Order: sequence, then C-alpha cells, then structure tokens
Amino acid sequence: MPELRVDRITKRFGRLTAVDDVSFEARPGRILGLLGPNGAGKTTSIRMITYITVPDEGQVLLDGRPVGPWSQLVMGYLPEERGLYKKMKVGEQLTFFGELKGLSRSRAVERAKYWLGRFEAADWYGRKTEELSKGMQQKVQFITAILHDPKLVILDEPFGGLDPINAELLQDVIMELKEEGRTILFASHRMEQVEQLCDDIALIAKGRVLLEGSLRDVKRSFGRNTVVLDFEGDDSFLDRLEGTGSVRVATRSRSHAELQLLDGVAPRLVLESALSAVEQVTRFELVEPPLRDIFVSVVQDQAAGRTQPAR
Amino acid sequence: MRRIWIVAKNEFLKRVVSKWFVFTTLLGPIALVLLFGTIGYMTVQSMEGVTKTIAVLDRTGRLGDAIAMESDEQVTFVPMSIPEDSARRAVLEERFGGYLVIPDSALRGVGEIMYYSMEGGLGSIFNRRLDNVVNRAVEDLRLADAQVSPEVLAILESDLGFSSVKLTREGEEAGNAELYAVVGFVMGFLIYIAMLVYGSVVMQGVIEEKLSRVVEVVVSSVRPFELLMGKVLGIGAMGLVQMVVWAGLMAAGTFGAGAIITFFVSPANLGLAADATDDQVLAAMDLQIPSIGPDVFVWFVLFFLVGYLLYASLFAAIGSAVEQQQDAQGLMLPIMLPIILSIIFMQGVVENPGSTLAVVLSLVPFTSPISMVVRVAVTEVPLWETALSFVLLFATFLGSVWLAARIYRVGILMYGKKASLKDLARWIRYA
Repeated sequence: MPELRVDRITKRFGRLTAVDDVSFEARPGRILGLLGPNGAGKTTSIRMITYITVPDEGQVLLDGRPVGPWSQLVMGYLPEERGLYKKMKVGEQLTFFGELKGLSRSRAVERAKYWLGRFEAADWYGRKTEELSKGMQQKVQFITAILHDPKLVILDEPFGGLDPINAELLQDVIMELKEEGRTILFASHRMEQVEQLCDDIALIAKGRVLLEGSLRDVKRSFGRNTVVLDFEGDDSFLDRLEGTGSVRVATRSRSHAELQLLDGVAPRLVLESALSAVEQVTRFELVEPPLRDIFVSVVQDQAAGRTQPAR
Repeated sequence: MRRIWIVAKNEFLKRVVSKWFVFTTLLGPIALVLLFGTIGYMTVQSMEGVTKTIAVLDRTGRLGDAIAMESDEQVTFVPMSIPEDSARRAVLEERFGGYLVIPDSALRGVGEIMYYSMEGGLGSIFNRRLDNVVNRAVEDLRLADAQVSPEVLAILESDLGFSSVKLTREGEEAGNAELYAVVGFVMGFLIYIAMLVYGSVVMQGVIEEKLSRVVEVVVSSVRPFELLMGKVLGIGAMGLVQMVVWAGLMAAGTFGAGAIITFFVSPANLGLAADATDDQVLAAMDLQIPSIGPDVFVWFVLFFLVGYLLYASLFAAIGSAVEQQQDAQGLMLPIMLPIILSIIFMQGVVENPGSTLAVVLSLVPFTSPISMVVRVAVTEVPLWETALSFVLLFATFLGSVWLAARIYRVGILMYGKKASLKDLARWIRYA
C-alpha cells in the first residue's frame, strides 16, 4: 500500500496564492485528517493530489512516483460538493465509474452489487438516481469512491447529510478500509469526528500548513492545559475567573465548563475558586485540549500574525 | 483511448435508450409527413369541395357570354344586369357566392376587375383563377376587335417549355437541375441541424455535469480532454444514428415517391394511354428522381462529421464556462455567426455555385461544411478544391479541439463568476 507525499506544492490563480508551499504525508493503514477553515486551500490541494489540476511548483508523489493518469486508477475521491448523474440508474452509474477506474464491466457490476449490499441498498440497483433521498445518494456517491478497491481514499466531509445510524455504518466501513492498510485522507470541519477517526492531522489555513503530525503529538505539544469542570450551583465564578485573565472559557453550559489555563496558571486556582462558589463539584479533570480549541487558537493566532507556519 | 470509449459509450447509450430519442427519431419524420400531408389534403379539399355561383356584372356588355362559357362543376358564372346593391344583397343573403364587376373601360385595357365575396382573401388559387378567366376573355375580345390575323394569334398562343440540364464529365445528367438544388438544400440543412442541434446537446450535457457537480468526480478519473472527446463522439454517434434512420426513411420515401405520384395522377390527363407505366407518366410530367453520385454522399458524410466535431468541441468549451443555459447566449454569438452566414448565403450558393462568394464560403473552414456540400450537390467541383477545403476544415478542427480542451479543463471547475470571452482566452494560457 502506498505512501502519499505532498512535497512543497504551490498553486496560484492570477494574483491569489491558493496553496503556498504545502507539504504533508499520509501513510498506509492510517487516516490523515486534513483540517482548515473555509477557503484554506484544502480543495485545491486535494485537486492536485487527485491530478485534476497540477501544481505550479512542487510535486505530489504516490509511492515515490509523481501522480498522473496512472494514479487516478488507484485513487478514490469523494468530493465535498456531491454530484451524480441524476437520470442514470444507480447500477449504471456505479458501473460507469467502475469502468472509468479500470474495472472490467462484469467486475464493476459485481463490485457495485456487493457494496450496495453492504449499505443495505441492494434493491436500489435499478432505480433512477434522482428518485433517491439525499442520504441515499450520499451512500451511492461513497460507493463510487471505493468501488475499484483504491489504495488511496480521499473523503471530503463524508458524513454530511447522514443520520446517526448511517453515519455509524459509514464509519465502520472507513475503519475497515484503514485496517486493510489503505491510505486515507479525511477532510472535515467536524472536529469530534477527526479526533475519533484520525491518526495524523495536517492543519492548513490561508494556503499554508500550520500544524502537522500525529494527533497525539500535536495534542501533547499543547500540554495538559485544559480543565473540565462539572458542578452544581451558581456559575458566576466563571466570569470572575475569566475577568482576572487567568483562564479562557472554551465551553460553558448550566453545569459544565471547559476552561483553558492561560500563561501557566495553576489548575488548583480554578478548583479553589469553584469550591468557594458552588454547592458541589462533581468532576474536576486536567486534560489535553480538544482539537477544536487547538484549531481555533492556531487559526486565530495566524490571523493576528502571532505564529509562523510549521515550516 | 479506453476511457474516451467508455465515456462515449455511456453518453451514447444513456441518450439512445431515452424515450425522447425514440420519439424524435421515429415519430419526427412521421409527424412531419403527416403535417405536410394534412396541409396538402386541406388545400385540395378547399379547392375541390366548393361549388359557387358567381354573378357577373359586366359593364362592357360584351364579355358575359364568354365568361359564362368558362363555368364548370365548381364555378358557375351568371351574367346579370342588376345594380351593384342588389348583387351585394344577394351575396349577403348567400344566394350567390360572390359577384364580379367588370368596368366598361376594361376593353380599353384600363380599370380594375373587382370581386366581392364574404371570404375575401388575396392570393388564393380561386382568386387567381377568376383573374385568369376574366383577363383571358378581355384579351380574346380585344384581339378579335383588332382583327388580328390567325398567324399573329398563333404567335401569341405559343409558349415554349423550359428545362435546365446539368452537365457532368460523364455526360449529360438527365433530370431536372431544380431537383439537384433541392438535394443541395436538404444536405445543407442536415449539416446545419447536426452542427447546431447536436452541438447544443453537447453544450447542455456539459452544463448539466457542471451544475450537478458530478464533473469533479469524473475528472478525478479521466483527463478533461478524454471526457470532452468522449462526450462529443458519443453524442455524435447518437446524431449519426438519428440521421441514418431519417435517411433510411427518406430513401424509402423517395423510392416510393414515383408510385405515390402516379397513383394520384391519371394517365389520361397527360395524354397517355390508361395503361401507361409509372416511368412513362413521370417522364410525361417532366419529373425524374435525380441520380446522385456516390462522391456526393461521401463528401456529405465527411463534412457532416468534421463540421459537427468542430462546432461541438467549441460548444463544449462554452458550456464549461457557464452555469446555466441563459448565460451561454453572449459567448455563443461568435460561434453562431459563421453558421448563420452559411445558411443566409445558401440560396446564393445553390444559384451560383461557381461564384467567388460560393468558392470562398466553401473554403473557409467555419462555413465550408454547409457551403461545400451544397456546391458538391448542385455542380461539379474540382477535386482539389473539395480536398483542400476538407484538409483546412480538419486542421481547424484539430486546433479548435485543442483550444476547447484547454478552456474546458479550467471552466468545468470554475463556479460563481460569469466568464467573459476574455476570461476564456486567459484560461487557454493557464498551466
């Protein structure tokens, strides 16, 4: 199974530099989360990986070879903007995409039926695509990305529009693809899902890589600076704490709060002020920051000009 | 190549098995024949079905009898000397179909013959007949008054026939040059349809793919050029099937045309024996189905195909640059112009196939598909001219498909901003 290496790629559109000297790697049997705010250059990067467009500078290597028509045959791509041929029948549609990816017709039919079966949709084979609900079309589109047994799977927001049951089904399939040793690129804004699924992450903003590495290392580098607090009683102490500038309140609800400790503030300060104000503290835990907080603070720091890119 | 083939096959099949295709291909010509048939039938009916009595108010007092002699089972002319008011009332009460007023100045060759009826109408066959009957009577009477000698009368009566015969190197082409003109028109229009209609189908397909965003998945599997070519070829194959079916129906129609015509015409009217063969009847009517050389068909097919390919690739490029059909109008104009010009000048090319205009139009690549085929159909074109025209057309096609592919690969991924011709030119230069 191949290794994907994105090596210092740059892409310009007129005066705008959409992707600026971006590098990252994705390894077999692992899921790389590609993160970044809207307009960060994720889609442009993915288009260069899938050889839809070519970089102005740098190169994309799959198993050490520059990508090209050959690599399109071993890649599967689920774009964020979904689209199928509306008038075609589901089976014809899947077979067509399978054939484009180099499968023989009979093999494409066989694989289409297998995967429809896996998604509990075997009876859709002869139905027109436009008759399907959005969620159903979503599953069909996912199948077009994996029908041909690709070695590199690129999924852009694969869970959008799926109900919890189908989302879990899809997640199982993705984990299975990973277990089989495929290289998976997972682009998403849903940080909980990234945290749940990904082994590695690359965070891009304004065309540059801000963070790259295994999820664990990235989180560890931000230290255990987050306090999770469950309590019963008056929560006005949170405002007082934030007012002194020692913490930032990341999440807050009636009896739950996540606080980021600022500038080496001792965790016990939080506990003490809580105990003095509320009736009962039911949970106090010092944890690594959730990915969402890392994302927000890194992107905001960049916007304020406080950080240099990772490279 | 394999992927071009897969795309083309998919485009072809998904269109050919559609109800729309079967409907237009099979029912199109039938509907057309039915339409013309109905019009023809109604015209004949309207002429045959009427029986009319027409009052003739002859102010000269000398034409009435001659006109009355022209009565037949459809029209009865009744000379009357009543005032116009009574005639008018009689018509309004439907006792007469209409009345004619011939002024007393008619025999001096001045004035106007008036016909009053409740139908009105200017150019109908019936009115022309009235016109003929009265003028003939006036003419005969004036000639008689002038005591013109029988020799001069014979000269006036004589009318020589006229036929145009096409000369070819193999000898005289027996037949009617007008029929070659018809063949030229038909072929020119077929190519026009192929370029415009099938070109629009290609454009529509490109726009749909872009609008439904399916194009992004497709180009992650095939090169944009392969997608473009596959689409153009697949839809072209569909067009070819449609044309072949129509040509077959037309050939069958032409084959049966002789029999159909002779069925309606009785030999006796043409001064032939009642048991005359179909061919004799057609010969007597001076009608012959023209024999068209195989070279005309070969050129037709070649120019048809390459002309379609040229325009379809350009239409695809335009489709890639827009998000909906309406936005395409402005960009389409420069491409439509040569097609429209060839149609406007088609009549001129048919009438003067050797004129400078016709030669230029048939050599310039963007107008040659229509103009050259029209010329080849109606006249002898030197082989080198046709060959040169075809080579130029083919070279232009290669150039245009290269340009179109460069626009297409950028356009299909561009959303939001409406592209101008300038943008398209910029995209060509992108890496």
